[in-house]
Amino acid sequence: MAGLELLSDQGYRVDGRRAGELRKIQARMGVFAQADGSAYIEQGNTKALAVVYGPHEIRGSRSRALPDRALVNCQYSSATFSTGERKRRPHGDRKSCEMGLQLRQTFEAAILTQLHPRSQIDIYVQPLRGVVSLQVLQADGGTYAACVNAATLAVLDAGIPMRDFVCACSAGFVDGTALADLSHVEEAAGGPQLALALLPASGQIALLEMDARLHEDHLEWVLEAAAQAARDVHTLLDRVVRQHVHEASILLGD
Amino acid sequence: MAERGLVASESLAGCRPRAARTVLGQVVLPGEELLLPEQEETDGPGVAGERPLRLNAGVRSRLRVVCGPGLRRCGDRLLVTKCGRLRHKEPGCGSSGGIYWVDSQQKRYVPVKGDHVIGIVTAKSGDIFKVDVGGSEPASLSYLAFEGATKRNRPNVQVGDLIYGQFVVANKDMEPEMVCIDSCGRANGMGVIGQDGLLFKVTLGLIRKLLAPDCEIIQEVGKLYPLEIVFGMNGRIWVKAKTIQQTLILANILEACEHMTADQRKQIFARLAES
Repeated sequence: MAGLELLSDQGYRVDGRRAGELRKIQARMGVFAQADGSAYIEQGNTKALAVVYGPHEIRGSRSRALPDRALVNCQYSSATFSTGERKRRPHGDRKSCEMGLQLRQTFEAAILTQLHPRSQIDIYVQPLRGVVSLQVLQADGGTYAACVNAATLAVLDAGIPMRDFVCACSAGFVDGTALADLSHVEEAAGGPQLALALLPASGQIALLEMDARLHEDHLEWVLEAAAQAARDVHTLLDRVVRQHVHEASILLGD
Repeated sequence: MAERGLVASESLAGCRPRAARTVLGQVVLPGEELLLPEQEETDGPGVAGERPLRLNAGVRSRLRVVCGPGLRRCGDRLLVTKCGRLRHKEPGCGSSGGIYWVDSQQKRYVPVKGDHVIGIVTAKSGDIFKVDVGGSEPASLSYLAFEGATKRNRPNVQVGDLIYGQFVVANKDMEPEMVCIDSCGRANGMGVIGQDGLLFKVTLGLIRKLLAPDCEIIQEVGKLYPLEIVFGMNGRIWVKAKTIQQTLILANILEACEHMTADQRKQIFARLAES
């Protein structure tokens, strides 16, 4: 995009951040009274809401029940007002299905599903993007990361046993430098974007996704930038959860 | 952002396993690993061993520690799987190491053997009632599991009735089964809950708090109006007072207890006692 410098000579990005800096993250747990678990997260301008129900009986066909594990059902729906052009069909389109599948793979790695055989855990995520310009918004990694982070908090709020947090972040590569946590301007510029979901305590990767061309020599740097950013997200989410538990137990009079 | 430097020290919490004793009463999060007392001395340098020198080093005293809810055994350590405060209870007779568990807040109930719960009868199929207890499967209740029930003398239970019973079978692999008699064959307060009254749902943590031995809330509520109340460990409370208005007031108070501090609660009780 002519005239738009994603990384200045002094190392500042379009919104004034450094290469490895994250956007401001604010999160809250327990925002919905009627769901078993819920959470809301804001990463910069990307907002995501996650709601968890379960473990409950399998809805729909009993044949989908797994005899030794819980079924994790993730649905991603973007609100009709959340992108630049108003979409009519929030469910069922390819992007929603693919995102739901990716979220399911991510959470099946983290939730201890063997503790609830023949039951179902539903995770519904909804990203809400504030419209910042009139450009057409492309498929992006910032949404996936915000959804995963919100869903982790919601699953923790619901008390479903997990073996670890799942923290996600996106990363890109511009001018020989790996950038962490891409904003939508950087995503729209069309460079390579990588989305990484990490289990921080063990350092294991739950999901790694990239659909762009990147030289294999650069892959390691981008991966390391994304991993470090995911660990920073973990630190912030850790603090949010501790604060929430602290407040909840004070009211219960511990 | 500047927050990264400030919170760098907190992120180390997930890296090195800590001794379970040092974390009692603090918030623990999934992914943390805890060391049991007998493993502390084999940890790396920097952990002060407090055990005195033993004369026969060959025999290690084995502590049997029970992992409660929210903890899993992972190798020889405890892996935390829920977020909450870590608690410990000393054993009655001193040979085992006690119980560790995580006190977490939850709304969804998972059936546990021995818990007393309130269920709603959803179906009657042959000799078995299907009872919804709020878990992932409906529990089954045999018609013979009531006091004084025989094949000729069937209990009077209809679909939609409220049942107070306890679980005899509740594990992840089998359908939960409940009964309305205790081991001696007496009802002991269990069975069909009577007419009228109101059933409402609260979080599991509040139920545990209300059922604690010296709960102030229950004592204060008892002084307000005469009432009948049944607590189910699955988060359900049934309450009945003389008039509908009193019943609703009691239900609202109990639901709001969770979000009020003790002072606010006392104010509300004082105001109600005056009117």
